[in-house]
Amino acid sequence: MGFKRRKGDGDGEEMEAEDNRRPSFNTAERRNVILPSMIKNKDKRAKVYAKQKHEKKVEKQKKIKARDAAEKQALELGEEPPQKMVPKTIENTREADETVCRPDDEELFADIDADEFNPVLRREVTPKVLITTCRFNSTRGPAFISELQSVIPNSDYRKRGTYDLKKIVEYAKKKDYTSLIVVHTNRREPDALLIIGLPNGPTAHFKLSNLVLRKDIKNHGNPTSHEPELILNNFTTRLGNRVGRFFQSLFPQEPNFRGRRVVTFHNQRDFILFRHHRYIFDVKEDKQSGAKGKDGVAKERVKPRLQECGPKFTLKLVTLQHGTFDTKGGEFEWVHKPEMDTSRRRFFL
Amino acid sequence: MPRVISNETLGCPPIRALTFDSLGLIKVTEARGKERGTPTVVNTWGEMNASRSVLAASMDDRLTNPLLAVARKDGNVEVLNPCNNDLHFAYSVFGDDGSSPEDNEISGLHLFRKQKEDQTERSCTLLTCTRKGDVSLRTVQFPDARADSKDDAAPKTWKACGSGELLVGKVDGTENFGLFGGKRVEVNIWDLEQCTKIWSAKSPPKDNLGIFTPTWFTCAAFMSNDDHRKFVTGTKSHQVRLYDVSAQRRPVLSFDFHETAITAITEDPDGHTVYVGNASADLAAFDIRTGKLLGSFLGKCSGSIRSVVRHPHHQVIASCGLDRYLRIYDVKTRQLISAVFLKQHLTGLVFDSGFSGEEIAVANTEVDAETEETMKQEGDEEENEDETEEAPVKKKKSKKEKRNREKVSEGEEVDEVRSKKTRDHKKKTKKVKHTQQD
Repeated sequence: MGFKRRKGDGDGEEMEAEDNRRPSFNTAERRNVILPSMIKNKDKRAKVYAKQKHEKKVEKQKKIKARDAAEKQALELGEEPPQKMVPKTIENTREADETVCRPDDEELFADIDADEFNPVLRREVTPKVLITTCRFNSTRGPAFISELQSVIPNSDYRKRGTYDLKKIVEYAKKKDYTSLIVVHTNRREPDALLIIGLPNGPTAHFKLSNLVLRKDIKNHGNPTSHEPELILNNFTTRLGNRVGRFFQSLFPQEPNFRGRRVVTFHNQRDFILFRHHRYIFDVKEDKQSGAKGKDGVAKERVKPRLQECGPKFTLKLVTLQHGTFDTKGGEFEWVHKPEMDTSRRRFFL
Repeated sequence: MPRVISNETLGCPPIRALTFDSLGLIKVTEARGKERGTPTVVNTWGEMNASRSVLAASMDDRLTNPLLAVARKDGNVEVLNPCNNDLHFAYSVFGDDGSSPEDNEISGLHLFRKQKEDQTERSCTLLTCTRKGDVSLRTVQFPDARADSKDDAAPKTWKACGSGELLVGKVDGTENFGLFGGKRVEVNIWDLEQCTKIWSAKSPPKDNLGIFTPTWFTCAAFMSNDDHRKFVTGTKSHQVRLYDVSAQRRPVLSFDFHETAITAITEDPDGHTVYVGNASADLAAFDIRTGKLLGSFLGKCSGSIRSVVRHPHHQVIASCGLDRYLRIYDVKTRQLISAVFLKQHLTGLVFDSGFSGEEIAVANTEVDAETEETMKQEGDEEENEDETEEAPVKKKKSKKEKRNREKVSEGEEVDEVRSKKTRDHKKKTKKVKHTQQD
């Protein structure tokens, strides 16, 4: 894994840089230090190692304490507290991408206005979704579909039978459906999702994993039939924007806030996490203010709570194809290729 | 194994590429600098309108008065100046009544390079073909840059196919023959002078399982500039076929390329290399004499390739497509030289060979503007002298470019000479071997 090694090299340099900042042993001293791994007696080695580990822990706690104290002092003195360190993650050290959408880009908006989802998103057409399966479908498949139906308003399920997918697309076009979802099952476990925009929208093929159905979620709620709110997170690039709009076009554009239902598509490192929640604002008596309140009326505090309604699953985009389903003759807007994996900090959505 | 693509060829030779996209914009990308520069977007022409999406484009890249023809989705064909986007004239393929071009879009466009000598006014000939098979050949004269163009008689029109969809329309290097093909239409060659079909292909036989693959041609290219008899086609069933008109009606050679439809194909000036691009973003070079893969172009390309073009002078090819990038590759090393993000689904690509990296392009346009002004001043009376007047000015600016071109061609010639020498040498050694064996 060459790229990993390269990355490791970079990290190593950083580590060294940090080491240089700290008061550290010089090279001669370092040579004399006995590492636990050099001790041959296991009992002794374990002891030395445990001691070392404990020392490290103590040191770390000291550091944290000192930092907190400095912050407190700064607050007391009315100074600016020292800036909090932001941990480096893969997301925030992501490789620069020129395809990221910018809000001042006129061409982006012109393109969005011309794309296939626009009639639905401008509320000229109400979305109507047809759900079907692959040919062989059992156990978790139907359960998943019934839950999908409860998530997506205005969706119908039709048995797949032995029809060609292209025939089904024709049928759905005739019946004025705006999208078609095909749930693929492998070994009685849903493993892929094919979403087809109709009448001429794109076709997206997702890998589906980590599926948890409603009944397997602890303290799950049962969703109502209100139109849900939609949250699309982190769809930043042009491709991501397109995929995000695709998801958006599955749902009606007027959420019914009375229902307090939220459907989330959260993109994290090119994995799209699907979650379905119900939220509630609990009004509680504030204990502290209740004790302090002198006018007899306890102060009220609003506390939001979330309840998961399921299902939850993870999607990963495999291909995005121009036009409706046509694996042999279709043109792909995006396919993943091994040569594109040059770095683990490179993302496409 | 590290999958890092090392870039040995840094920078890009001076090129000027015009790309056309689904919003009807024309974007000009230039790599300036004498030796190696990075291509950047210089100009964006046109307003954003999805109904004016560009379907086909053709360019006459002469040194003087280059012309660019662009076919739009709404049935309009526009002839522009590729240096400064001056509209010479525009007309609708479907006549002035503007019948709905819903399912009858333009699928092929060719701007003729040869000009009739006897004519005093500037004119150009355009060949258009539509999906339903209507081919029309019309000559338009435009006295000056104004829009008052007039059609030269009625356009020649004919039907290139009875049923099916016409997707390919190509004209060979001598511009006497046209090639048409498409969905359920076998490739056929027409004589453009007489408007008669002179040859048509025969579909390949059923395979050993008795399965017949329906004909569906998506792209074609003539193998050499002065020979209309040899051409390659790409099909929807991922097959590349070489036809030889003088040999047989079935393909001489055919081979498969990956699993998805072939969408773009271009020939190399050396006469035996073809560049093939397909719908799942693979681009490769093939030797058409043997049908063997020479190598593929890896450039992290992720969207269907709509157009591949070889630069006439530099050792460079460019591809563009649905992944919104213009990619430029070195032909020899097959390395990606550079990729330019152009924001829209790109539908077409054209090289301006008159560009040499210096400020010539700008000078070109200025000169054009000057000539136009002089033309305006002198009015209609001296229209006939326009040609003669323009000529010396053109010569001046063309000299520089010619020099550049000569340099390039000289370099190539030297290469050729070298290769010939080596070949001769090899032959000699072979002969020697033979004699020894004898």
